[in-house]
Amino acid sequence: MSATDCEQRGTGWGILEDLPGDPMIWVLIFSELAVFGLFLGAFIVTHAIHPAMFASGQASLDSGLAGLNTIVLVTSGWAAARGTAAARTGSKRASRRWLLSAMALGGLFIALKLVEYAGEIGRGIGLETSTFFTLYFLLTGFHFLHVGLGIMILAVVCRRAEPAGVETGTAFWHMVDLVWIVMFPILYLVW
Amino acid sequence: MPDRLDITWIALIGLALATLLIPPLLPRPLLGNALLLAFAAVKGRRIVLDFLDLRMAPALWRGLVSAWIVIVLLFAWLASAAVAVI
Repeated sequence: MSATDCEQRGTGWGILEDLPGDPMIWVLIFSELAVFGLFLGAFIVTHAIHPAMFASGQASLDSGLAGLNTIVLVTSGWAAARGTAAARTGSKRASRRWLLSAMALGGLFIALKLVEYAGEIGRGIGLETSTFFTLYFLLTGFHFLHVGLGIMILAVVCRRAEPAGVETGTAFWHMVDLVWIVMFPILYLVW
Repeated sequence: MPDRLDITWIALIGLALATLLIPPLLPRPLLGNALLLAFAAVKGRRIVLDFLDLRMAPALWRGLVSAWIVIVLLFAWLASAAVAVI
């Protein structure tokens, strides 16, 4: 097969071309899922080795506030999905409105998470309190950074509101949402 | 008239609220944890199919992301079950 044949069949990304958005974002998404999966695996194994320490650590967390943040983040994901649907129909104004809502809710997630961190720090809890809290702060902190990065990506694609760009930005945002959905019960609730 | 995105959002909110009710209502580790993690799997699957929009994507990609969800959550349940039994 010649190079010209390849070009005529697609952009050279092979089966990644069948995914919504830019194929490069999917390379990033699969890499991120692998990293978060390993992190969560380490947390689960350490939990099994030190169940009493982890039970005590979980009891110090505010699962109600984290649960509220789950509702905030899935609502943000819904707004982002609506923004994608609007961009696909060519309605840029509606797409921008939905994406701005998604970003605002992402900002609310960050604010609530900061309130949660402030409460924990106020109770004398820190990175070195126990292995539970070291892993808790690393995992939630890493996710927190991804929420911030996701908001920046949404802000970039919101400007032009082109379907391909919006699909790319929201794919990353939904990955951040998905990771939280899996992370929340493992960190806060499973005993 | 709610469409698929709205229904998924309502389902996610309902499951998120139900998740918070499990620990006080069902304080038995094996069953309670199984339910918590099953709810997370259902929420994750809905996000993959409807928000990430992989419903019409090749089965390979849908399967890979779904497998990530199942492997992580199943591992968490097996570890918690091992602790509860031992």
